[in-house]
Amino acid sequence: MAAFFCATMFSLIAVRLVDVMVLGGGSGRGGYAVAAAHPMRADLVDRNGALIARDLPVSDLYAMPANFWDTDEAARDLAKVTGADETHLKEAFAAKRGYILVQHGLTPDKRDAVVRLGLPGLTFESGYKRYYPSGRIVSHAVGQVDTDDHGVSGLELGLENRVRAPDAGPIQLSLDMRIQYVLEHEIEAASHAFRTKAAGGIVLNVHTGEVLALASLPDYEPNLRRLDTGDSIRNRMTQDVYELGSIFKIFAFTQAIEDNTIRLDEPFEVGKPYRLGRYYIHDFERLGPTLSAAMVFAESSNIGTAQIELRSGPTKQKPFLRKLGLLDPLRTELPEVASPLYPRHWEEIESATIAYGHGISVNPLAFAAAAASVVNGGTMVRPTFLKHGEIQHGERIISEETSRTMRKLMRLVVTDGTGTKADVPGYDVGGKTGTAEKAENGSYAHHLLISSFCGVFPIDDPQYLVFVLLDEPHGNKQTGGFATGGATAAPAVGRVIARIAPLLGVKRIDPDTDGISATLAAANP
Amino acid sequence: MVRLLNFAFIAITSLVCLGVYRVAEEARVAQADLAATQTAIVRESDALAVLGAEWARLTQPARIEALTQRHLDLTDKPSVELSSLSQLPAKNLPTPQDSIRNANEVVPQAASPLAPKSQPEQTPTASFALFHTGT
Repeated sequence: MAAFFCATMFSLIAVRLVDVMVLGGGSGRGGYAVAAAHPMRADLVDRNGALIARDLPVSDLYAMPANFWDTDEAARDLAKVTGADETHLKEAFAAKRGYILVQHGLTPDKRDAVVRLGLPGLTFESGYKRYYPSGRIVSHAVGQVDTDDHGVSGLELGLENRVRAPDAGPIQLSLDMRIQYVLEHEIEAASHAFRTKAAGGIVLNVHTGEVLALASLPDYEPNLRRLDTGDSIRNRMTQDVYELGSIFKIFAFTQAIEDNTIRLDEPFEVGKPYRLGRYYIHDFERLGPTLSAAMVFAESSNIGTAQIELRSGPTKQKPFLRKLGLLDPLRTELPEVASPLYPRHWEEIESATIAYGHGISVNPLAFAAAAASVVNGGTMVRPTFLKHGEIQHGERIISEETSRTMRKLMRLVVTDGTGTKADVPGYDVGGKTGTAEKAENGSYAHHLLISSFCGVFPIDDPQYLVFVLLDEPHGNKQTGGFATGGATAAPAVGRVIARIAPLLGVKRIDPDTDGISATLAAANP
Repeated sequence: MVRLLNFAFIAITSLVCLGVYRVAEEARVAQADLAATQTAIVRESDALAVLGAEWARLTQPARIEALTQRHLDLTDKPSVELSSLSQLPAKNLPTPQDSIRNANEVVPQAASPLAPKSQPEQTPTASFALFHTGT
């Protein structure tokens, strides 16, 4: 009997030993599970690793007023520490029943302060809240999340799946916070100087398609999750479409050179308005009886450009613009992208006006990508907000020779044309100005302008494109009252380039090299 | 003999029970330590996350620029003053006076910058600007 008892005991002990030591039984049963919450969203960092967005630990504070000795005193103390509305708390605590939410998203220091109050009946619910250290500066590109930590705009929404993937490490964006700050700073200065309604800018790597900076004013403070007076969540660089005006001549000339329909030294009559059916095409100012094709571009003559475009005509223009991605919705990580607007019936008059940027509306980022494709050697680039650092070998749009000629023409705009204020000694900026009249009540308003400048540097071997747009700028003393792209946006682009070129490691061009001469030798097509 | 064996079995059983109890207790304590350590790790991770965010806030360019302007006597040097050693001119060499070489410092007149260096007397077709009669 005793032997049976002992054998049974030994068997039980052996089974338990095997369970504990081999099968791991016991662990987790009645153990100490760590009930720690984990961040739901991965960090967003810029191309240099600087933090852009992060989930930070916060607590939601709940109270059971039935446990308070003095509900008014508790409400006063909690309101003081947490920033909650005291009157609201007093009313809520007066009922003395249930759980009352005192405050969302308490930071660790505030939580400690609440604990020090020593009030009974308080419960903390741990969680995380998205925090943007740079605040407004990068608000439009990065976007924001809702109170449940779900992306609702910008890259927070566009990269939602990647950001919320289990074990996702920091996601490196193409943005460079230094460049972003410079762009935002200069656009804000220009916006203030010219009293604009809105403004925006883009810095794009023309080979990789990486967007280094994207700014849109007015902006907003993403950490507050509210809009103060004058704030806007509208990203003007992707969410709005504009008739961009003369800056579109880049594409008219690219097509003409690619189709070999003009010689750059060929004279065009620009002395009087150009009649097309019952319409007349005018220039901003009288530019003389004739201009060479190159100077039509440099001086931004609508009359000359219309004549040049009509040599290709609508049947060639539309497919060319489509190839540049200007007639289809832009594909990028940003979800807020407006589709282009263009005429259903694309006849000669539409072709002529589209050549100088009227009658077609595109979002600025799509324009910047198309312009980058023209100057980078002629291959299509798709803008991206993710760092990859590799040259995009996209579809060839134009020949390298055409791209080189266009770069020379864009340099001519800065040395001899409408964009002289964008020049930065040592960095050989090329570009194109744009001044479009806004449509109002069915016609174009002369006093409401969209002024822009698209700059590329260094023009011999372009690496970066800087685009600035000012919505309804007003001229000032410095510009002699002019609010054109050359007077307002071009200097802003010049200042941006002067500040970011050293940061980007772009070498200053030695005046002794043939670089400038070679560029200016655009005179010898 | 049987009785002796019984006592021996009971003694061994008691010892094994004590051993198992001790192992279980040690495991429980270790598990508690592990849980405490994991909690501490989470707390430290949270603290690091907060400190990292604070660092990002304090080192953002706008704040650095404001501090620089307030405390340092620095000026914003024009980019043209940034160069490399290889771009410095050799000693005792005259400064080039060619208008093309200086084209980037001074916005040139309409015709002059576009004429090639080696062919200053080029015919009008050599220059875009020569055809530009508007300005």
